Amino acid sequence: MHLFIDTHLNDITYILYDTKIVKKVVENGKEHSKLLMPTLEKLLDGIIPESIIVVNGPGSFTSVRLGVTIAKTLAYTLNIPIRVISSLECIALSINDENKLVGFSDNNGYYIGSFDNDMNLLEDYFYLSNKEFSIYQQDHQVIINVELDYEKIISFGLKMNPINPHKVNPIYIKKLDVEK
Amino acid sequence: MTDVFILAIESSCDETSMAVIKNGSEVIALTILSQMDTHANYGGVVPEIASRMHTENITIVLEDVLKKANMQVKDMSAIAVTAEPGLLGSLLVGVEFAKVLAYVYKKPLIKVNHLIGHIYANRLEDKLHFPNLSLIISGGHTELIKMTGDYEFELLGETQDDAIGEAFDKVARVLGLKYPGGPNVERLALEGNNTYNLPKVLNDDSYNFSYSGLKSSVINLVHNETQKGNEINRADLACSFQVAAVSELKRKLELALKNTNIKNVIIAGGVSANKYLRNELNDLCKKYGATLNMPSFIYCTDNAAMIGAAAYPLFLKGEFVNLDLNANSNANIC
Repeated sequence: MHLFIDTHLNDITYILYDTKIVKKVVENGKEHSKLLMPTLEKLLDGIIPESIIVVNGPGSFTSVRLGVTIAKTLAYTLNIPIRVISSLECIALSINDENKLVGFSDNNGYYIGSFDNDMNLLEDYFYLSNKEFSIYQQDHQVIINVELDYEKIISFGLKMNPINPHKVNPIYIKKLDVEK
Repeated sequence: MTDVFILAIESSCDETSMAVIKNGSEVIALTILSQMDTHANYGGVVPEIASRMHTENITIVLEDVLKKANMQVKDMSAIAVTAEPGLLGSLLVGVEFAKVLAYVYKKPLIKVNHLIGHIYANRLEDKLHFPNLSLIISGGHTELIKMTGDYEFELLGETQDDAIGEAFDKVARVLGLKYPGGPNVERLALEGNNTYNLPKVLNDDSYNFSYSGLKSSVINLVHNETQKGNEINRADLACSFQVAAVSELKRKLELALKNTNIKNVIIAGGVSANKYLRNELNDLCKKYGATLNMPSFIYCTDNAAMIGAAAYPLFLKGEFVNLDLNANSNANIC
């Protein structure tokens, strides 16, 4: 059984996947720390997953970080393969369009990524403020508000190469004030 | 009795640290990964960057400490983690990490208060003697506490505004010294004399402290003299500030020594690494026939060994927490 972890927005999504989705739990709450491990414990119910896929952002900094911290620690201690998939890859995998210029919003703007039909990244991910985004949308067709197709995402993720748990880290994209 | 091994985790600020502590006092292994060099580029700790670096390093630090201890997580009696107080984002990484270990290895989980950790740092090299007066002095805290037994605290006084370490850092900045400011002020003070007449910190008979007035007077002095085109003797000013800051600690501690007749004093927290302060407090304690206990330098600054020491009494009492443990940025001892 494979464990899928997605915390890139306010929802915590855990999925157990065999050859298809076996069990899916979605929790929503402000204090992720109180929910993350109890929810996972309930979902696993004693099962030791054979591998992990974690969504490593971009998205809510703290939320992604906690999901990734849990995932890499589980993979390291259980000595099981871990794979990462980005939130933007998840969105691109969930649509059928050939040109996959996709994005999603947080409160202040949009994370954007573009992929070709074979899911090759065409340009580095970037972040636009709401104002920048409305200008950008005038001559681009960014597909937003996509409902995630977890079956597709996980079956794609399982074909990716596992990485060393020490090297599993969030991607943030959005610049910090001190970095500007 | 079988030996108790606690794997302790500390990530409340800018150090990712883990330790294996035997029976609450023996340091089997300690790893401290400091992010100081990174934060020095920004003139202080950037909370978001601190949190990021904790996640990047956390499994690496675990691997290192277990290798040093020549043990595995399964050999531990419990997992202990700093859950309060500190930078929220940083605390959360350590807390979630600790919960995964407790879950995977089915170990009891112990929640430790960082400030209590600083006090129990003293148990790593000596016994804790009761009753005692504990002076916690760090970048975030200035507190005088009376301890009557394990985990029995009575707050006598605390800072009404800035912490002493915060005042050192701000003064360092105005003197053009790099982060971390405290040790740099101390170094510069060695080259100077106490020539500037700075105001008394909080001239009352409570056990409370105040450092914002002293800090502001140094900042104003520098600005005024600079405006007038006068040269400042930075070393003298650093020395005068340090004398004023420490003399107030001494005055309040002396008051407590007189009033309580307690003969054991503990100093804890990052500022207790200051040598001038150590000497001054030592002299004061001698005068009252009291023993001053202070940890070695390595256990003064943030480290997981002290968290393991502070977790031990809780382990003996069976005070464990569940996987819904949350971090709290603003907790006090009592």
